[in-house]
Amino acid sequence: MIGRHPMENRWSRRQFLGRAAGGAVAMPSLAAILAACSKPGENAGGSGSGSASTEIPIATLENPVELPVTMDTIAADTPIESGPLVLYNWADYIHKKVVAEFEEEYGVDVEITTYNNMEEGIQKVANGQVTPDVFVPTVGYLRRLVQKDLLMPLQQELIPNMLASVWPSYSDPGPYYDLGWNYSVPYTIYTWGVAYRRDRVSDEDLAAQGWEALWNPEYAGAISLYDSYGDTIAVAILRNGSLDVNTGDPALIDAAKVAILETINDHEARLTINGVYAKLPAGDFTVAEAWSGDIVGAQWYLPRGTGTDVLGYWRPEPGQTMIGNDTLVVPAEAQRPRLAHEFINFMLDEQHGTDNFVNWNGYQPPFVSIQPDSLIDQGVVPENLSDAVVTEEMFADDLTPIELSPEVEAMWLDAWTEIKAGA
Amino acid sequence: MPEIETSATHDERPRRRLWRRRASVDEPGGASGAWYPRWYWPSFVAPGSLWLALLFLLPFYVVFSVAFGTVDFENFGAPVPYYAPWWWSFDTFNETLSKFYEGTAIYRPPLFRTFAYVFSATVICLVVGYTVAYFAARSATKYKGLILILLISPLWISYLMRIYAWQGLLDTDGPINLLLRPLGFGETNWLEGMHVTVILGLVYGYIPFMILPIYASLDRIQESLLEAGRDLGASGRQTFWRVTLPLSRPAILAGIVIVTLPMFGDYYTNDLLGSTKTSMFGNLISTQREQQGGSTRMASLVLILAVIVLVPMLYYLRETKRAAEQA
Repeated sequence: MIGRHPMENRWSRRQFLGRAAGGAVAMPSLAAILAACSKPGENAGGSGSGSASTEIPIATLENPVELPVTMDTIAADTPIESGPLVLYNWADYIHKKVVAEFEEEYGVDVEITTYNNMEEGIQKVANGQVTPDVFVPTVGYLRRLVQKDLLMPLQQELIPNMLASVWPSYSDPGPYYDLGWNYSVPYTIYTWGVAYRRDRVSDEDLAAQGWEALWNPEYAGAISLYDSYGDTIAVAILRNGSLDVNTGDPALIDAAKVAILETINDHEARLTINGVYAKLPAGDFTVAEAWSGDIVGAQWYLPRGTGTDVLGYWRPEPGQTMIGNDTLVVPAEAQRPRLAHEFINFMLDEQHGTDNFVNWNGYQPPFVSIQPDSLIDQGVVPENLSDAVVTEEMFADDLTPIELSPEVEAMWLDAWTEIKAGA
Repeated sequence: MPEIETSATHDERPRRRLWRRRASVDEPGGASGAWYPRWYWPSFVAPGSLWLALLFLLPFYVVFSVAFGTVDFENFGAPVPYYAPWWWSFDTFNETLSKFYEGTAIYRPPLFRTFAYVFSATVICLVVGYTVAYFAARSATKYKGLILILLISPLWISYLMRIYAWQGLLDTDGPINLLLRPLGFGETNWLEGMHVTVILGLVYGYIPFMILPIYASLDRIQESLLEAGRDLGASGRQTFWRVTLPLSRPAILAGIVIVTLPMFGDYYTNDLLGSTKTSMFGNLISTQREQQGGSTRMASLVLILAVIVLVPMLYYLRETKRAAEQA
């Protein structure tokens, strides 16, 4: 009798395990069978399967787009949820102290999850692996995020700082990619240029070379390019003398590829992500392709005893380089949408946004109160980095990288694959 | 009586348990002896088979379905796998394959590099690893345990941390160049995409997996066999070539397979110690992973790599089967 009891027990456990395993096998195979029954070509490469009835066109400066609002915003009197607020952001792209201030003011925790490249970030949001309350996409993805019903339209009443602090052009008419700011607010603004070590290259020397500095054999072994196809191919197009930074011309793309391979193979240029903000201050590189925010942030990475005057940033003449901004959005699946609105409003507050910019991140928010001259006078941005400060006028002149069509994107990716294969 | 019984149960507990279990299994057959249902012995394979089906065959089929499917650019380049074989489209696979031989053949240099690196690294692993394993098993009776601990202890630290340490050592201003300066190589940019550095990284990363099986096999060779060899007039060297080496052959093959297969798919060693100039096959795959809509090409490359590593794998299986037949 004593022996029977555990036997029975074991049997029932085994049955349970068996059923559980059976279920685990059945579920994916059921999904597979269902998928096999429907014609797979239907949602491939065509229009999105989201409920937005019309296809949203790709936004350009000439043809700005108002992203359609297909779902309700949250009510302005929604109670503020208790935390935690989930922020899905690039690595090293927000000042921890500012986040701590938000936590203290609202009595909530902020969980920061990071991604290293936009593809990874977008994929995880799109397939639900991460369900953030606030997300930081580049503008080239907004159209598809809305098309797929992945974003929540903003309740503008809850973000008064958009009108109080930010350049008016961002709310009226709004940026070309989101007229009327239905879904996004700008987070940071930046330009593309060349960062360099002023203790090794003089300002005049670098200005005379321009982009060509990244192809100069004198700096062999100390040249950095971003490990990011969109940025680096566009910079190579500029270096080759064209301003068509969204080009679909195979000849221009091929020439850019040849140029990048040349500086990698002949001058030992490196593809990096932290080349500007970490390795240039450490002295590993002499010249680097740079986003302006990276070089401002680089002053926090200088070795002890090295002054900020060793850092330099060259920006081409107006209209000869690219300018852009990143955004803050609330995903449709956000669990704490009201808290997310509060966070966005908090980051657009003059004091918090400026603190985030000058005391660590290096990336500037488009605030009316931030004046290039006062930044330099106050010593917030060293004078030798004055070119890294972004002004509203630059947006009128400079080039704008936009979302590429699938066909053009495929050409850029092919070129990049060849570069990465070390041909 | 009771006293004796308690002491007996205490002493013979393992044996009595075994006996009891056997008896309970025998029971259904009654007095006529052992009887097992038809499914009894095959059922022992079930957990392993289930494991293989769930975690190998099913995912592998998904890789096929992704490779022969398409991607949805509107959905940020997410894969659209074709699970039903009658929908399979071979366009991307063929295009990927053609990049190994057509036109500029952009995938060929990484493929050749991979073969060269894996071959060199395996040879170095074998020569160095065998020597160390032999020393540990034969000569170092006293320090055997210590040597084994020293061999295994690096594995307690994350591979990433150890490679970061190498980055520091190999830096242009690092200690290695400092040591080499008197010899005239003090200015070498080790981390600028040098073949030697990547091969060194591979050897460093995988050599413990070569040493351990060889050590286990050498340690098990009976002393009497070696003594017999010497008794029959063989010199020390001859004993090694004609007794020790043939007996450790299966372990050498196992070691080669264990280090070679992951080396073919390695990409992080080159990411951390090399550059695009030393890209390997694994880097081709990881580049696609970072790209929008790259999953179809990535899966195609995975299938091509699977075919490539199948060749040494089959050779290994044939050799071990032959060795089992001879034994």
